Amino acid sequence: MIWFLRDIDLLTVLLRAATLAFEALLMGGVAYLLAVALPARASAAVEDFCRRGIRMAALALVAGEVALVSASGALLMSGSDLTLTDVTTTNFFRAGSFAILFAIGLWICARLKSSTATVAMLPLSLLLLAATVSISHATARIDYRVPLAILTAAHHLGTAAWVGAMPYLWISLGRVEDVDEARRLTERYSRMALLGAATLVSAGVGMAGFYLGTWSALYTTASGVMVVAKIYLLLAMAVLGAGNWLLVRRLASDPEPLLARLRRVAEAEICLGFLAILTAASLTSQAPAVDVTAQDRLTAHEIYVRMHPEPPRMTSPSLAALAPPGSLAVAVADSQFAPTVHSDDTDKAWSEYNHHWAGLIVLIAGLLALLSRHRAMRWARFWPLSFAGLAVFILLRADPENWPLGPRPFWQSFAVPEILQHRLGALLIVVFAAFECAVQAGKLRTRWATYVFPAMCALGAATLLTHEHSAQVKEALLAEMSHTPIALLGVSAGCSRWLELRLPRSRMATIAGYLWPLCLALVGLILLNYRELA
Amino acid sequence: MRRNTWILTPLFVTAIVVACGIALFAPRVALAHAVLVSSQPGANSTVSGPEVAVLLKYSSRVDLEHSTLTLLDPDGKVEKVAIESEPSPGLLSAKLTGLVKGAYVLRWQVLATDGHITRGKVPFQVK
Ligand SMILES: [Cu+2]
Repeated sequence: MIWFLRDIDLLTVLLRAATLAFEALLMGGVAYLLAVALPARASAAVEDFCRRGIRMAALALVAGEVALVSASGALLMSGSDLTLTDVTTTNFFRAGSFAILFAIGLWICARLKSSTATVAMLPLSLLLLAATVSISHATARIDYRVPLAILTAAHHLGTAAWVGAMPYLWISLGRVEDVDEARRLTERYSRMALLGAATLVSAGVGMAGFYLGTWSALYTTASGVMVVAKIYLLLAMAVLGAGNWLLVRRLASDPEPLLARLRRVAEAEICLGFLAILTAASLTSQAPAVDVTAQDRLTAHEIYVRMHPEPPRMTSPSLAALAPPGSLAVAVADSQFAPTVHSDDTDKAWSEYNHHWAGLIVLIAGLLALLSRHRAMRWARFWPLSFAGLAVFILLRADPENWPLGPRPFWQSFAVPEILQHRLGALLIVVFAAFECAVQAGKLRTRWATYVFPAMCALGAATLLTHEHSAQVKEALLAEMSHTPIALLGVSAGCSRWLELRLPRSRMATIAGYLWPLCLALVGLILLNYRELA
Repeated sequence: MRRNTWILTPLFVTAIVVACGIALFAPRVALAHAVLVSSQPGANSTVSGPEVAVLLKYSSRVDLEHSTLTLLDPDGKVEKVAIESEPSPGLLSAKLTGLVKGAYVLRWQVLATDGHITRGKVPFQVK
């Protein structure tokens, strides 16, 4: 039970992310239908797909809200004498129920084709927004509740109009009857998205002012670092969006290939947008920076000590110097309760050495991938092979208390969750390396195989952006400071590889083709500078 | 989690497993919002009984009805404490009576208005 409860917390963050994303999709769909598809006289096929999208988003939101309310309810009831009836009288239960009702209402409206039902979507969406905002951070603040609630609502609206509506444009462009219709839709969407982006940014700046308080909060607190990550993702989206904006202008002259490009770029933009929403969800699980006391903030000096460049550690402490391993049974029992945070300097040095080798491998992989662009260097396209070395390295060194370095036997040690994670990770790396090698060598030409690499980058980045560890606030924050850039570089690598694969031959595709190896190499450099010792 | 990170980080690949792994195994610290800013009695302080006024100040608005206080007395008995009122937003008051000499732990669980739940304890001595 304890084991289970401990994880409800992370579960609620993930569910919050899901509900935020579905809410944006649902409201974005309504905005797209009302402000883009209908006024632009979209064909019946396009309109049908929009309505279907809205219905799917509504159902997904219902499922997400049910799960979120149940998880929060379980968390509230555990360890206290509150009953189920008490839970039903809470704010979050009421707001969740209303959100579910409004989502069902929207589902019904999207089914009915009458104009009344279509118009009714607008008030329903606004009510849904009100329900969501009523349990946002803003309402729990002691001061400035009303302005903050208004800013939060504006932030959600802007997100819906820009990020949430984008998948609908993407669907539409695949279903249009002629180029003229595509142009009408894109132009209207672009205008709405621009307005949405402006709203989102100005509301975001306002909220950042309130919640962060000072400029230094951007790098001294966890929520500040998250805000920086969101800004990066939004900037990347804005760059892609600006590219699309220019494309739309030229749509009249050279329609067919441009339309394809428009859709491909939109795919990358959608991915970035939803990662930004995920980041926003993990932002809501953090205390706002203004509430973080000085003792829990990093100082510039602490950051410098940890982050300044230093030669990597290429010598490892001896195995004998590590803390002697305890019995396997104890380790298994331990992992079910409190985390055992005992890592002395030798442990840290061991870990640094591991990180630095991993960094070197990733750096080499990135550089080789870059070299393989040259015709004379075709052999370098087998860069994924270097990852196989990484897998071996993980197997040998991640858990020194186990076989082959330590006394614990190989098979039994699978019972420790952490070790299981590490070994599965190593296995995945080998599979990935084999795959990507086949792809790079041109032996594997099926579509889905080529997408494994970008998909893994995006998924990995998503995990790195949500997870946090260490019981000490400052340690967690320092870890996050090296994790977050890696996650952002990971997204960038994934998106640019995606664009390279999907775009027709163009200058943009060429740039993307150089961008992802660079991102990979940068990840390697960051890892090479990773430190745990002060 | 220390040795763990280096596998997470170098390759995003691993992260997928870790996504499941973390959801299943990893310990986490809740850093949500209703954080105890100050308390009376203070943590690890010594107060004189038999009556002690409790005043807990949080960083955000708290749902009074759905927050609970319990007291662990020196005999290991757990007792529910009634929350009296909220003099100002985010401030809880209660009264402990009949305290004898010994070590107590006041445990709190509060529901912030935004639906986040936080817990904590305030250990103190009665002389
Ligand atoms: Cu990590």
